[in-house]
Amino acid sequence: MAFCCLVFLLPSVARAQNDATSIEKPVAQWRFEEPGEPGVTNERRKFLEAGPRLPTYPAFTASNQSMSFAGDRPAITIREADLPQARLRFTLNDSITIEAWVKVADLSNGSYAYLIGKGRNQRPGFPEKNQNYALRLKGENDEARISFLFASEPGGGKAADWHRWTSSTGFNTAGWHHVAIVYTFGKPESIHGYIDGASVKGTWDMGGATPRAPVADADDLTLGSGNGGGAGNTFRGWLDHVTLWRSALPDDVLRNRYQFIPPPPVVKRSDLPKGDVLVQLCESGLPNRNAWPDPPPPATEQYREPCFGFFEVPHKYVDTGVRGDRPNPYLLRAAATVPIPAGRHRILLRGRGAARLYFDNKLLLTTPFPPTDSSGHGSVRTVESYLNLGPDFRFAPPGNRESWTTFESNGGESLVVLETIVGNHLGNGRRRPELGETVVAISIAGQESWRLLAPGSRVVPYTDAGWAAYESERREHSNRVNAASRAAKRNEHATYWTRRRVEADRWLATTADERVPPLPAGAPAFNPIDHFLAAKREQHRQQAAAPAGAIDFHRQVQPLLEAKCLACHAGEQAKGGLQLNSRATAIVGGKNDGPAVVPGKPAASALLARVKSTDEDVMPPKGGKLTANEIRLLEMWIQEGAHWPELNANHTTFTPLADDLTFVRRVTLDTVGVVPTPEEIRAFLSDASPEKRSKLIDRLLSDPRWADHWMGYWLDVLAENPNIINPTLNNTGPFRWWLYESFRDNKPMDLFVTELMRMRGSVRFGGPAGFGVASQNDVPMAMKGTVISSAFLGVEMKCARCHDAPAHVSTQRDLFQLAALLEAKPVTLPATSTVALGAVQEGGRKPLIRVTLKPGSNVTGKWPFTRFVAEELGSKLAEEPGDPRDVLAALITAPQNERFAQVMANRVWKRLMGRGIVEPVDDWERGRPSHPEMLRWLGREFVRGGYDLKRLTRVILTSHAYQRAADPQLKETPVLFTAPARRRLAAEQIVDSLFQAAGKPFVVEEASLDIDGVRELGSSITLGQPRRSWMLTSTSNERDRPSLSLPRTQMVTDVLQAFGWRASRQDPLTVREAEANVLQPAILQNGPVGLWVTRLSDDHGITSAALSAGSVDSLLDDVFLRTLTRRPTDAERRTYREYLQPGFADRVRPAPSKPPVKRQPEPYVSWSNHLHPEANAIMIERGERARRGDPPTERLDPDWRSRLEDVLWAVLNSSEFVFRP
Amino acid sequence: MNRREFLSASASVAASSAVSSAPPRGRADACIFLWLGGGMGQIDTFDPKAGGLNKGTPKKAGSLYDSIPTAVNGVRFCEHLARSARLADRMTAVRTVNHKVIDEHAFATNLVHTGRVTSGNVVYPSIGSVVAHERGAASADVPPYILIGYPNVSRGPGFLGSRAGYVYLTETTSGPAGFSRPADVSEQRAAERRRLLEATGTRAAPGSSVAEYESAQAEAARLAGPDFLKHFDLKTETADLRESYGGEFGQRCLLARRLVEAGVRFVEVSHNLNFLNGTGWDVHNEGINNQHLLIRELDTALAALIRDLETRKRLDRTLVVVGTEFGRPPEFDGGGGRGHQGTAFSLLLAGGGLKHRGAHGVTDDLGKTIVKDPVSLPDFHATIHASLGIDPRKELFDGPRPVPITDGGTPVAALMS
Repeated sequence: MAFCCLVFLLPSVARAQNDATSIEKPVAQWRFEEPGEPGVTNERRKFLEAGPRLPTYPAFTASNQSMSFAGDRPAITIREADLPQARLRFTLNDSITIEAWVKVADLSNGSYAYLIGKGRNQRPGFPEKNQNYALRLKGENDEARISFLFASEPGGGKAADWHRWTSSTGFNTAGWHHVAIVYTFGKPESIHGYIDGASVKGTWDMGGATPRAPVADADDLTLGSGNGGGAGNTFRGWLDHVTLWRSALPDDVLRNRYQFIPPPPVVKRSDLPKGDVLVQLCESGLPNRNAWPDPPPPATEQYREPCFGFFEVPHKYVDTGVRGDRPNPYLLRAAATVPIPAGRHRILLRGRGAARLYFDNKLLLTTPFPPTDSSGHGSVRTVESYLNLGPDFRFAPPGNRESWTTFESNGGESLVVLETIVGNHLGNGRRRPELGETVVAISIAGQESWRLLAPGSRVVPYTDAGWAAYESERREHSNRVNAASRAAKRNEHATYWTRRRVEADRWLATTADERVPPLPAGAPAFNPIDHFLAAKREQHRQQAAAPAGAIDFHRQVQPLLEAKCLACHAGEQAKGGLQLNSRATAIVGGKNDGPAVVPGKPAASALLARVKSTDEDVMPPKGGKLTANEIRLLEMWIQEGAHWPELNANHTTFTPLADDLTFVRRVTLDTVGVVPTPEEIRAFLSDASPEKRSKLIDRLLSDPRWADHWMGYWLDVLAENPNIINPTLNNTGPFRWWLYESFRDNKPMDLFVTELMRMRGSVRFGGPAGFGVASQNDVPMAMKGTVISSAFLGVEMKCARCHDAPAHVSTQRDLFQLAALLEAKPVTLPATSTVALGAVQEGGRKPLIRVTLKPGSNVTGKWPFTRFVAEELGSKLAEEPGDPRDVLAALITAPQNERFAQVMANRVWKRLMGRGIVEPVDDWERGRPSHPEMLRWLGREFVRGGYDLKRLTRVILTSHAYQRAADPQLKETPVLFTAPARRRLAAEQIVDSLFQAAGKPFVVEEASLDIDGVRELGSSITLGQPRRSWMLTSTSNERDRPSLSLPRTQMVTDVLQAFGWRASRQDPLTVREAEANVLQPAILQNGPVGLWVTRLSDDHGITSAALSAGSVDSLLDDVFLRTLTRRPTDAERRTYREYLQPGFADRVRPAPSKPPVKRQPEPYVSWSNHLHPEANAIMIERGERARRGDPPTERLDPDWRSRLEDVLWAVLNSSEFVFRP
Repeated sequence: MNRREFLSASASVAASSAVSSAPPRGRADACIFLWLGGGMGQIDTFDPKAGGLNKGTPKKAGSLYDSIPTAVNGVRFCEHLARSARLADRMTAVRTVNHKVIDEHAFATNLVHTGRVTSGNVVYPSIGSVVAHERGAASADVPPYILIGYPNVSRGPGFLGSRAGYVYLTETTSGPAGFSRPADVSEQRAAERRRLLEATGTRAAPGSSVAEYESAQAEAARLAGPDFLKHFDLKTETADLRESYGGEFGQRCLLARRLVEAGVRFVEVSHNLNFLNGTGWDVHNEGINNQHLLIRELDTALAALIRDLETRKRLDRTLVVVGTEFGRPPEFDGGGGRGHQGTAFSLLLAGGGLKHRGAHGVTDDLGKTIVKDPVSLPDFHATIHASLGIDPRKELFDGPRPVPITDGGTPVAALMS
């Protein structure tokens, strides 16, 4: 228990006593006020900082200064010649008093920091043991003890020896303290130490007490370091009034030296809300090192909480409401008046940062600053090392420090103030500003249990369960608080965004709307989408009715063109100007040969001439000639008239509306990413309203899980790629949190794009600034340019990173112009981003790619997409016309830039309908829209709706097209959107649905390899406790160490990865690999996740269903509804009933009376201790435990239970489960 | 950094130049890739130099251990590689591998696995995935690529997609992820489950995506059976042989040999047993104190693997590679350990039908700079591919983009027979 010694003195008495006018003059003194003090150069005076001051330290003036010391600045060295009048050497029978005012910034346990010492400077010409005298601080038990050291002079047959005296108590390192030592050489009993005016006991703990004389030579006197320097010897903190006396100052003088008037409480009782904890965040006034601020910093923000239990503070939002960073460190102060019954109670303080707890303005408890070690060489904590204060006492979580004491209350209210420093310094860097579990808890006299200290009637047991419930409740609360502050920040920009809406409306009004075509007879329609689709089908039917030849263009010719020609002969950049991607352009031909295709005249068609050529000009130029059969095919096709139907439509019949169960499963998966719960299904089925589907759609669109479902998609498209350990391989910051909040808020997509492009806010803690990072990339903004262009404009620029590509319009210059806009300054093309064409050209043929930009070229920012919208519009529309990023964002999102709205509409369309109107959705140069009119209509609808993603989604979901039954024969969605094809769910949908359907909690490790927060924030992050699979990331165990594994996470990501999820997202991706492979069913059938969701443990959802089921049939109904959103077919029912009926009646077992488990803390493994041998063993064991899964429930007969598990296994592993209906 | 991945014209260059430029093709049909994570110090293993001092003052740069002669005249290894030294004529320490990355393990690990620097535009496949993609498995009953170690992106298939990915296990006892059934699922219970699965839902229409998934399901069920898992049962080997391989790392090597025999094309074996010295091969500071134990463990396993393959007449058809992300400098850090060095370090090739010579390439007296025959990572990759009969210049496709297998690598001519 660390009560600070507080001495109360009247200021008037105090002042005189600190003046060195009594007794005699000191040998030397450093007051750090006027220039010219010995050894204190002008250079050194740059490090003067505030010293002890009025009114807290009444011996000093209100402007008093002190000298700061740290390892990175020189100590103060005084040569004897600097003080010619003073005798700095002390010898036998001399009395010495050394005193100093000291404030510690950082003192490692075990180190001896020199305040002042003569000799032992490791200077050449002096013996190793030549310490005349020294006063040092020793770190022990996180407090500072005083230590006196000298070396005895060799002689009388004795070598020089050390003599060290150290106090057996010390001071808590917050604030200013006075320390002093008195000694008469030759008289070992004369040693006396003082801390803050109190005499302290101590022992000669090295070399023993001695009557010998000290070594006295010409070596220097040093302040702030000694023994040649180094971290262990160097003082980190501040000194003032360092005084050296050639006498033993009297006891009463030294006892009265320390004068301290505690500062008035920064919170007054009258300021405190009744029954609540007032929380203040103080963002300014903290020292630039790990030290308590002095004076107490003012609050910059405040709010209320019910209890003294903190794990996070509200996020800071900047700009339009994007996550920003608070200064690091900042101070959190929590204060309340707390009624405490009479009696002696136990009080516990926990904190991740340094913390101190005051009761009625008396310092009651402290926790220290985090240790400075950030290496991986720490130890795995032993079970015994955990504080254990009761039968259900919650053990300290990783990275927390703690202390406890007892407190005697007379009854009545105490003023309780908790302060903690959030974040801290680590060398030149910082650690993550995290609260860990900052808690004040109380155990009332006579009770064993603990609860959070609270000013009101709220009782929160401080147990594992109690804390978990409280944390989850407060997290909900802070989500609401955060949402409100985002909204408030966004609202600050409302004027501008209103103007944008007005401009968009004006543009809509002045441009022609797309006419919704009349509905052909007999076609089904719920909304305009169905009109467009039916009209297109009608048009296709008429086209198809026209006479055609024997050759099927789309089946026979198109694949040939795609394989052999279109890589070069498509788009505006086509080789030789020849575009073979439409009949019209093929007939026009290129600039070299004239018409490539002359319908009916193979001999006149250049296409044929080229593929038949035996010369060097043969086509294709590489990769194998066409076979004779292929050439014959082309010949016949041209002979027949080069019939080239616009669409490759092989499916032209609209399927009927899907049934209700199919619809509810499909729409729930498509909006919130998981299968519907039985409650959701029943509510929908029992709704008699004709509008029930629309109502369901509206409910789902307002479901918060909407945001979860979009996450995987945008993380891929925007290549969010954080690494939980050292950033490498094109890593970004974790801007996922900004993404998530954007979808929670249903942010208009033009604002979304603008925020992304501005790249402001937090880099490392989830702001869009994290998007701006690309580690180990030579031109990050060029990389971002490729992401942005494909995401929002459907322009693929990957190739342009190094050269101009044959298949794409964009040149390398275009991309670097874009990069320069994002960089807000010209960008130089590095040699690493180009291609040496010399080798390529050797073959004689012109290379397909071109390099038109030389390495070293300086490229200025310029809008490269004038084909979409004119550059001048940008600065007219931008909120900040002087910011190139803002201008760029305005150009992309301007309503006049129809491409943006259409690309967004096409993305949503593809995600819901399984096929884009344009394919590929991220590279529009490779395809043409199948329904250009509908695409334009959707784009305008999107603009009209204020770029509202939910509104756009609603239009599609409410169409007949979306709600049609799937055609089971289809492999992919047909181009006329006549029926959906069943398609496999995304990885996240599968995993999240497995857990949800089973009712099994989703439990993985915190997504971090630094859970106790010891590493510098640039080298480790935490992605928090995942609750949905999008929150996972690569376990990043490149070091191959079991101790750095996250076994459960790995087991879940194995499943995700098999189904196309990427652990690392180095490049943007819109469409994941969807092909079936053997790993997918294998990992579900046999892997640990499959086991977790099919093993009927006590916490499994089907376990309780099985216990309460009235019959096998009702149980089967329930299982099928939960998993497949339907009832079993008769055949299924027969099979399963037969399997489960035996033993059903006797399945239930009495709840076992479990022997009490010995409760003990689970040792944790983190970066900080991962090199400890035990860490590997622990994590290997944890992996095995995860692989074994939770034990099965004992409430069910084992044989019957395992049969029910088999049923569950079969249903969850059925292809039906992983396919969208 | 160089991104010549799309040298689309290189094939036509090759075609139009002399026929003799066709890359050599070796006879190996499998590869065992031993990965020494952390950075094996060449100076303390396969490229020994004059002795140094790592404790006391002053320290002296140099090897920490004595060197010994090997089966190849003039080639010496460190004293802790005594067993491998006797087999040096079956292997080549390529002593002049080099790259410019030293600061970050993951970055260098990626570089050595893919042979390329990350670009942000293409996710490159690991060498294991390229081999799996190019040659597939030698038997339909096994996957082409198995990893014994932790999954990570550097070992992954990149743009080649999951078919070229690995099946992994983290220890020899844990079984391959996805193919070893939970302990409480007996063969009989698995059969019941399959029967129930058959009875669930309706059969998919041929040609639909569902049908493809269902055929993968059947395949998965087949692979998870005893025919596949028997390869993982080391107890079927004699006790003598198992013991000759040494501890867990050796057992992994033995498993690798069994897998290769079963038709697996590429097995990566990670040597991640940092419990021996605390830090594995990343021997900063005190981590170096027990480095010799790691070296001996490698020596035992490597020598046993080569002898075993030879006994079973598979050495010429099995290329054994020892990979690591970088080497270590001759100088010592404050704690007597070593930092990182990428500018010159050793990787090892053994068997695989190559013309072995004990060592290839020469570094200076301290192993810091390359004096003769530098081997770039693309060249090293090209040598592996050539040994396995894969054309290192062949183009793979990332969507529409051609990406040659190696970044302009040429097989080391001296090793090609």
